[in-house]
Amino acid sequence: MSALLEKHIVELLQERNDKAISLLYEHYGDTLYGVAKKVVRDEELAQDVLQESFVKIWKKSDSYDASKAKLFTWLFRITRNTAIDKLRSVNTKSDKEIQMDVSDVYNLGVESIKPELIDVRENLDKIENKYQVVLEALFFHGMTQQEASDELDIPLGTIKSRLKIGLRELRKIYGSSMLLAFILNLI
Amino acid sequence: MKEKIKIFLDSDLLEKYLLGTTNTQESMQVERYIAMYPEVRKTYNELQENLETFAKIHAIKTPEGLKNKIIARIKSENAGRRKFFRYAIAASFAAVMFAGASYFLWNQNQNLQEENILVNNKIETLKEDMRLELADVRNQFIVLNNPQTRRVNVKGNNSAKELKAVAYINPVKKLSYINVKKLPNLPKNQSFQMWAEVNGEMINLGIIDETAGKEKLLALPYADKAFSYITIEPKGGNNTPTVENIVAKIDY
Repeated sequence: MSALLEKHIVELLQERNDKAISLLYEHYGDTLYGVAKKVVRDEELAQDVLQESFVKIWKKSDSYDASKAKLFTWLFRITRNTAIDKLRSVNTKSDKEIQMDVSDVYNLGVESIKPELIDVRENLDKIENKYQVVLEALFFHGMTQQEASDELDIPLGTIKSRLKIGLRELRKIYGSSMLLAFILNLI
Repeated sequence: MKEKIKIFLDSDLLEKYLLGTTNTQESMQVERYIAMYPEVRKTYNELQENLETFAKIHAIKTPEGLKNKIIARIKSENAGRRKFFRYAIAASFAAVMFAGASYFLWNQNQNLQEENILVNNKIETLKEDMRLELADVRNQFIVLNNPQTRRVNVKGNNSAKELKAVAYINPVKKLSYINVKKLPNLPKNQSFQMWAEVNGEMINLGIIDETAGKEKLLALPYADKAFSYITIEPKGGNNTPTVENIVAKIDY
């Protein structure tokens, strides 16, 4: 996502122009759908979540403050919270805890063919599973490091070091995907 | 200071803030740290980038048609909003009209009430005037028609030789009237005034105006031994008679 496009979308949102939603969907729809699916683990529920999230994004658009968070961070927060609320309302009876599903890490939809993501995915394999689990606990399940330690039955110190390495690896991927996007932009 | 930042970064607060799970107080603390310490800001920005990258890795192609569904919902949301605003505008307009009409009617009601009081007062005054007038006319009739009524011709003294008046006195009915027939011309700044002395008290009976009607009878207060005087006073009348200017005296 180029900074210019992000700025353009934010401007449209503030003008309450519904083109913003169309652009947001094109650029973040798949990613946010992935976030929703990760949390609710159900395709239909994830679709509901995505729909509700976009309505919330539209309604709250004037509350977005670019100085406090990147656009994606803001979108992610709304989608994740909507997904968790959804899960709670559905799961009140079944008492299902949000569990770590390690297999999900490899369950990357093959449909998506975004060039920068292909590159990212190739690189993802370079991140060992044990780091990914910690990253996922942090980003998708909103666990504190202590909670992740309890949940995964890994000592807190190990969680901290794995997180550190995982983030470093991620930064490498991010850096290279940025570079790729930059090169693609030049072409 | 370094220690403080380290403790902060070791806590999960920044990560919780990233995901939007901090409470208001925690958010304020995190935002303060981000604003104050470049190191924290750098970490936060890295976390944001990592989050985006990590989320993108897990992107899943959205199902066909979902986009149209969402766009349709947003459009209906907008329509609802517009509808709401339309109703709000209509309601505001109606409220303003109602307020305006209420004020107008209230104002008119106030005016009518004031007018009503005014008209009632006028009617009361008229009634009182008519009652007095009628009583006066009846008394005049009694005096003039009664055989016991004495008729006294009044003439002016040397300073007003032309003055002529007739007084009617009825001791039985205890009524007396005077009819001033003719008054001598006076300078513009002077006028004739009528007085009555009843039981030693001097009563002002008012200014005699020749033009008011020659046939008009002026009631005199009755007492067994009373006098009436006509004096020349400055224009507009006086509070006490000027004794030197007495031009006529009626004894009844």
